[in-house]
Amino acid sequence: MDFTRRELLERCAAFGAATLVTSMPLSALATEWEAAEKKQPTPFCELGPFYKREAPHSSMMRVPGDSGMPLAVSGVVYNTRGEIVPNAKVEIWQTNSDGHYDIEGYRYRAVLEPGAKGSYTVESVMPGHYPTRVCQHVHYLTTAPGHKTLITQLYFATDPVFDGDPDKNFTRDPLITSRELVRPVVIKGDPKQIVAAVNFDLVMETL
Amino acid sequence: MRQLMAAALVLLGAMSAVGSSRPVAKVQLPCESGYQDLSPSGTQLVVHCKDRSVRVVSVPEGTERHVFTAGQHANSFLYSQDGSWLAVGFEDGTVEVVPSQGTAPSKRWKPSARRIDQMYFFPDAKTLVVGPVDSPAQVWGFADTPALLATLPFEFGGLNACSVSPDGKTLVAAGDDTVLRWYDTATWKKTREYNGFLLETFALTFTPDGKRVLAGGADARITVMDAATAKPLRQMPPEAGSYVVEIDLLGDKQRAATVYLDDAGEKPPHALLWDIATVKSAALNSDAPLTCGTVVGGKLWVCSADGKTLTMSQYD
Repeated sequence: MDFTRRELLERCAAFGAATLVTSMPLSALATEWEAAEKKQPTPFCELGPFYKREAPHSSMMRVPGDSGMPLAVSGVVYNTRGEIVPNAKVEIWQTNSDGHYDIEGYRYRAVLEPGAKGSYTVESVMPGHYPTRVCQHVHYLTTAPGHKTLITQLYFATDPVFDGDPDKNFTRDPLITSRELVRPVVIKGDPKQIVAAVNFDLVMETL
Repeated sequence: MRQLMAAALVLLGAMSAVGSSRPVAKVQLPCESGYQDLSPSGTQLVVHCKDRSVRVVSVPEGTERHVFTAGQHANSFLYSQDGSWLAVGFEDGTVEVVPSQGTAPSKRWKPSARRIDQMYFFPDAKTLVVGPVDSPAQVWGFADTPALLATLPFEFGGLNACSVSPDGKTLVAAGDDTVLRWYDTATWKKTREYNGFLLETFALTFTPDGKRVLAGGADARITVMDAATAKPLRQMPPEAGSYVVEIDLLGDKQRAATVYLDDAGEKPPHALLWDIATVKSAALNSDAPLTCGTVVGGKLWVCSADGKTLTMSQYD
């Protein structure tokens, strides 16, 4: 059974499961709670010319021997109410570390299925730069029943293009529509096997 | 996509044709310019200036007819097939259709909040297909006050390429979703589709008899399709490591000038002249850096800019 936050709060208060230690009316408290949980939709960023249909369903795009910094991207697919979107399909594609898209085959292309929990993880390498684009990026095409298709791109705060200051310099790539798409990179793992870890939650709008 | 199309313009300019050439005009440019768009009548030139302004000049006089300042953020330019109109797409989603000759007023409207990447004129020069980035295509009639005639949806993304049959009855649209869709322009109902391409199509053109459609894109080859059934008939061999961005049929209706971009953007672009019947190609070699090109009266015209002087030549 699904309850709205307001209903849950009212029921908890009615059954004594929650004691409200506030002068705020219950309705106002519920409104505040709902507002706090709301999420802004992930900004749009264009699809680009290298999309390829029928990519493999796999969360491991990296294979042993691939050059480049190992990359692990994870996130959760939400709607703008902050609820998990079940049964989303996330298609991603990127260049290899040398900045080349695989047109003939499906290297560094994958379809992810976050399932009921809405979470996804994908193992890759840090994409390379190439002459017609300024920044390293990963393309996302996310679909889910009852939701607007989300087309966007993930960027990395460690990209040398930003000179260590993505707040100030993210507009150096004219295709970056929002600072929000430039995500922090955390280096994890032991010294022999480091991984650049990035969190990139996706927030979809309902139809 | 804007970058891709801008590159295509440069590339079309970067090709030189097989056979003999003769100069047809010299034009004094109003600014330093790396590439231009030549009208199909050969009488007007859109000059993309290095200061990011865009200036429309007459050929060969060089008289300035319109100026789009850098601050106006004009993004895409397209002449109607008869050269009578110039459509301009802006980054804020506005479209302006400017008469190339005479004193008729321009038409200006805002079909979208997104950048206008693609435009395509119907042969009647009264109807314009507009493609805002990653959005459904829109068909606008602009003979009077601009009016939306149809919206052409895609599974996702936006319009990559478009062509209308010579009789104006059929429109084929290529979307980011890799599908080609056929529409009846009287009812705007989708009549056929082809979803056999795994990659995006960036160039579409009907043959003059309306029986074939040539399609090319990220698969690096021209596919000849039956316009009546939407089925592929044959393919030209692919140019590995590149993708097709433009296909222009020459006046002999047999040869297609095809422009290819390098996948990685590292190698210079190149162009081939394909004989569609024999499936043979000839490379189009260039001695000088050329800056624009189009088919004028069935012949390939190309330009070469040296400073502010532009020379235009016709290849036979």
